[in-house]
Amino acid sequence: MPSALSGFRILECGDMVAASYATKLMADMGAEVIKIEPPDGGDPARQRGPFPGGRPHPEKSGLFLFLNTNKRGITLDLENTKGQDVFQRLVKNVDLLIHNVHPTQISAAGLVYDQLAQINPGLVMTSIAPFGLNGPHTNYQASDLTLWNAGGLCFLNGAGPGTDHLPPLKPFGQQAGFTAGVHAAVASLGALFATLRDGAGQHIEFSVQECLMGISEFGTIMASYAGVAASRLGNKPIQPLDLMECKDGWIFICCVEEHHWESFVDLMGNPEWGLEPIFKDRLKRAESWDALKLLIQDWVKDYTVQDLYLKAQARRIPFAPVSTMGSLLNSEHLNSRGFFARLGHPEAGALTYPGAPYICSETPWELRRPAPCLGQHNAEVYAELGMTKQELSTLQQAGAI
Amino acid sequence: MSRPPLEGIRVADFCWAWAGPYGALQLAHLGADVIRIESAKRLCPSRLIPPWPDNEPGVNRAGYFNQYNQGKRSITLDLKAPEAIAIAKTLIEKSDIVMNNFASGVMEKLGLGYDELRQVKSDIIMVSLPGYGTSGPEKDFVSYGPPQVAQSGLSSLTGYVGGEPMMAGFSYGDPNGGVHASFAVMAALLHREKTGQGQYIDLSQWEAAIMLLPEAVMDYSMNKTQPERRGNRDPYMAPHGVFRCKGEDRWVSLSVRDDAEWQRLCAVMDQPELASDARFASLSVRKENEVVLEEIVTAWTQERTADEVTESLQQASIPAYPALDAIDMINSPHVASRDYFVELEHPEVGKRRHMGVPWTMSRTPCKIQRPAPCLGRDTDAILTEIVGLSQEEVAALREKDILA
Repeated sequence: MPSALSGFRILECGDMVAASYATKLMADMGAEVIKIEPPDGGDPARQRGPFPGGRPHPEKSGLFLFLNTNKRGITLDLENTKGQDVFQRLVKNVDLLIHNVHPTQISAAGLVYDQLAQINPGLVMTSIAPFGLNGPHTNYQASDLTLWNAGGLCFLNGAGPGTDHLPPLKPFGQQAGFTAGVHAAVASLGALFATLRDGAGQHIEFSVQECLMGISEFGTIMASYAGVAASRLGNKPIQPLDLMECKDGWIFICCVEEHHWESFVDLMGNPEWGLEPIFKDRLKRAESWDALKLLIQDWVKDYTVQDLYLKAQARRIPFAPVSTMGSLLNSEHLNSRGFFARLGHPEAGALTYPGAPYICSETPWELRRPAPCLGQHNAEVYAELGMTKQELSTLQQAGAI
Repeated sequence: MSRPPLEGIRVADFCWAWAGPYGALQLAHLGADVIRIESAKRLCPSRLIPPWPDNEPGVNRAGYFNQYNQGKRSITLDLKAPEAIAIAKTLIEKSDIVMNNFASGVMEKLGLGYDELRQVKSDIIMVSLPGYGTSGPEKDFVSYGPPQVAQSGLSSLTGYVGGEPMMAGFSYGDPNGGVHASFAVMAALLHREKTGQGQYIDLSQWEAAIMLLPEAVMDYSMNKTQPERRGNRDPYMAPHGVFRCKGEDRWVSLSVRDDAEWQRLCAVMDQPELASDARFASLSVRKENEVVLEEIVTAWTQERTADEVTESLQQASIPAYPALDAIDMINSPHVASRDYFVELEHPEVGKRRHMGVPWTMSRTPCKIQRPAPCLGRDTDAILTEIVGLSQEEVAALREKDILA
């Protein structure tokens, strides 16, 4: 059976997460992805861990290995004239080019759509930029942290009322990159669909800041509908919706609907305080959360996470454990769905990877090859372009590859 | 200008709350005709929660619904009635994609499972995105967006240094599950365009959320350990955090990515003695002395506004940005200078600023064509134009309380 995207040819110039995640999703669905890395050190993701034993090694970064499964990798200096010639030959043969090269470096790297479209009129090019490609902040430098702040998401998170000495808090990892990456992938496939219909390509301009603003849930709508800014210091609109400590770990106590609360009170053995008017509905419980939290916490502490999770779910109350990586990898549910995938790599060895979050009935998802070592597929890919060994060594001497 | 990329593609959107509707919203952004099948008897929770303009509730006045259902149409159907199921099937026959985020098994109980729908339309693409997916021992467990942040493990990794596990500040699991579903749908649509074959997609929101933390999964896979909670810090950059500024609860984020940027920051702060201070000369010693380092940076930032800090750092090409709150966001001059904000006239809330499409396409426009629908606004049009009923038939169904 062919995979959903088999036959699509994609070039990626990925720096860290956003573009690499977009093309990883596509490569795992069968697209042929060639990843272009700068010859001096490659994608910066190679320098970030985790590493086996904590020892940095450019072929053993857990982040890089995850982000680049199923891709072939070449090195090419886009800012070198000879390198640019080769790049244009590569562009000729692809359906889609995705990059997140910073706007200040786009011209020097030859990532100019109108020029590339002359070579390949069917080309879709997606430019992922921190603040888009126009407007006063276009050339601003950015990190995952500053983007999470620019999208208004960091301001929403923290330890709650009375903790104004603590700053807004980002979640773990590279969340701006992953969120931008998957959205940019959706947009790119949309443009490929248009190309299938009429053969013409186009340029997609993607703003990470705008993408993040668009997932702020109550954030922007509180501002435009109520004129207020939600903050990490405010009370939550409804409760219980909070993390609590059990005997052996943490659990998320979650009662969204009134029937969840009623079932939970019953699970707790119908304590008298459950009937107090100050806990009557979810809005009241939010107002009285200081008092209620202590009462619930006192009951929760005697349970193990798993016991309370299963007891709650048996009554259809949507509690969830605060998973650790150990509990995830041992989850009977996730393993029965085959979520985790085992994959070997010539340098990093066999490792367990997060797999596919979806099961498609007709088109397989599969890991066909591990992430490429730096320049691993130079000979193969450049031979496909019809280059001779002599041309290759000339390029190498010029520092282009 | 050419047509939107998904013009002519129809989505029967049975989704509710946030995850599914957010996924279908992406398809509306791409120009698909997304039809929300709603129930007036069991309203979508997103129509029932604040904020409302002037704090006056109303099913068509909720910002939550109106933000995440832009560009869609709405039909009301009481799916408990057999006539309504027949209508839904005809609508699906005229559609390309069916989406739902009900608990596992609900669509089957309604008689709208994939096996039945493919009889109605052989190349239909159907996606279900319940919290746990549709197989496995916990498939019948109930879930919402917020628990996914805990269940994925993101909470166990997020928190202040030495502090407790924390959430993300919003229901991150929802848009993440939704957008991953729209990705899978788009891949399936391309496959169908090439081969004529439809399919069924089973997406687990829990698994989609685990995709966001591969560094931690891989760390456990490599080393049987997971990263400590480290606040806003980063193992490869310092200083790296959110620092207090002038004003009430105002903050700026900044990241110093290498030694050269550290040198430039010292210059920006006009503290040349720091530039030669051995405690901060390289990343490894800046990490060792991070508490002192952060005190020094805070002493400088708290005398300035977040905008001032951002401007002076950006002039030196160092990543910095204010910690925007939502008022800042909807008033951002940078974003306002672009094409992102959407202000369309809505019959009950007037013109309000909504977030639009975070991408632009040079040839096939992706524009929000209409505000989020009032409940059942398009029922008659859909029944007569797509399902093929006469106005008399529609009136009879309404009489029997099926269109509610």
